[in-house]
Amino acid sequence: MTVKQFFKSQAFKCIIVLLVIALISGGLLAILNDVLYVSEEERTMRAIEKVYGKEMKYEELEFSAEELKNDYGSISKVYLLENGNYLVQSTGGEGYKGGTITVWVVLTSADGEFSGIEKVVLESYEKQTLMSKLSYDVYSAHNDEITGDVYFTTSGDGIKVLISGATYSTNALNNSVDCALKFAREVLFVASADEEVA
Amino acid sequence: MTGKRFKTIAFDGLLKNNPTLRLVLGTCPTLALSTAAFNGIGMGLAVTFILICSNVLISLLRKTIPNAVRIPAFVIIIATFVTIVRMVLDKFIPSLYDSMGVYLPLIVVNCIILGRAESFASKNKVLDSACDGLFTGLGFTCALTLIGAIREILGAGAIFGYTLWDFKIEFFTSSAGAFFVYGLSIAIFNAVYSKIENVRRSKTFALRIMPKPDVSAPDNLDPDAGNEENANATAEATAKEVK
Repeated sequence: MTVKQFFKSQAFKCIIVLLVIALISGGLLAILNDVLYVSEEERTMRAIEKVYGKEMKYEELEFSAEELKNDYGSISKVYLLENGNYLVQSTGGEGYKGGTITVWVVLTSADGEFSGIEKVVLESYEKQTLMSKLSYDVYSAHNDEITGDVYFTTSGDGIKVLISGATYSTNALNNSVDCALKFAREVLFVASADEEVA
Repeated sequence: MTGKRFKTIAFDGLLKNNPTLRLVLGTCPTLALSTAAFNGIGMGLAVTFILICSNVLISLLRKTIPNAVRIPAFVIIIATFVTIVRMVLDKFIPSLYDSMGVYLPLIVVNCIILGRAESFASKNKVLDSACDGLFTGLGFTCALTLIGAIREILGAGAIFGYTLWDFKIEFFTSSAGAFFVYGLSIAIFNAVYSKIENVRRSKTFALRIMPKPDVSAPDNLDPDAGNEENANATAEATAKEVK
């Protein structure tokens, strides 16, 4: 096939048509991506609205990668809200089929010390099928017992939280809340106290 | 487009070829997103919008796109509209965007959209294709909302998020419950549809074997007398055709 024949062939027409459609689609999406872009601030405000039902001023706190990980899971975002509470996004593992649950945990303080959990709100989950069974108010109901080195557990020592029929998912939820608890006890409020001393 | 053609397309999309309850297409989002009626409406409207837009564009380009690359071209067009819907939902209705999760981008491979593009839009005029997209999408939306409402009422004791009563059967919120309600909906819909279709057919059949009396004929003053023979002859002919 000569070059001239190629340019007149059906194959060349196919390439051009596909290329033109792809270019127009790409251009349109690039423009719309700029117009409909959702900033990180907007996403954070949505999360706060999801937790409190209203917008609130916040300050993002930064920690090292090591400080954001512990035995129970990992912390991805930490915010200090204008009402003095801390909003923490925490992910716990070991759920059904090894999946994870990510929640927003509101940690309260009294006189600069960690005083308990105000709220737990679901953000997202992976591989869990019985999420509708889980209850999130149960954690703040145990605030009197959250002292010393006590954590939530499905079995053994600690505050027992177990939703019958959804044992693995409860385990992942407990882990995500415990991850936020451990972070509060060992990193967040220690750092706050250090700042106050300085 | 004539009124009759419009009626045929509307009837096909909504009932005769309902994608969910008659053709059993788009099963994945139907089972996954029918936990609540609102999710069903959201998914249904998203699919309807994409169906209309992709059908119109594919119909416009049907003589330009070479036959050999029609499927990749359709997929690019559908994917573009799906991405636009994702961006719009993420910006303006984040709660619906979150609840639809991974099933929103998966609309790209939804067989209803590609099926209508291939079987209808690529062979018909723009207005016909737009109507087909609209009514197929509405048929899908109605089916999803119906299944979602049944599951929400029985599984959560609520409808569109409003609590009706405390009684709930959690089985209906699970995957097994989704299959159960979906199967039952298909069975009931098809039973009712067949019944109506049978009644309609028997009426048509009765009209065919009982033609109107020819009152203009001068030697046929008693309309029943002559027609009996005619009716018998037509019935025999129809019976032969049926055989």
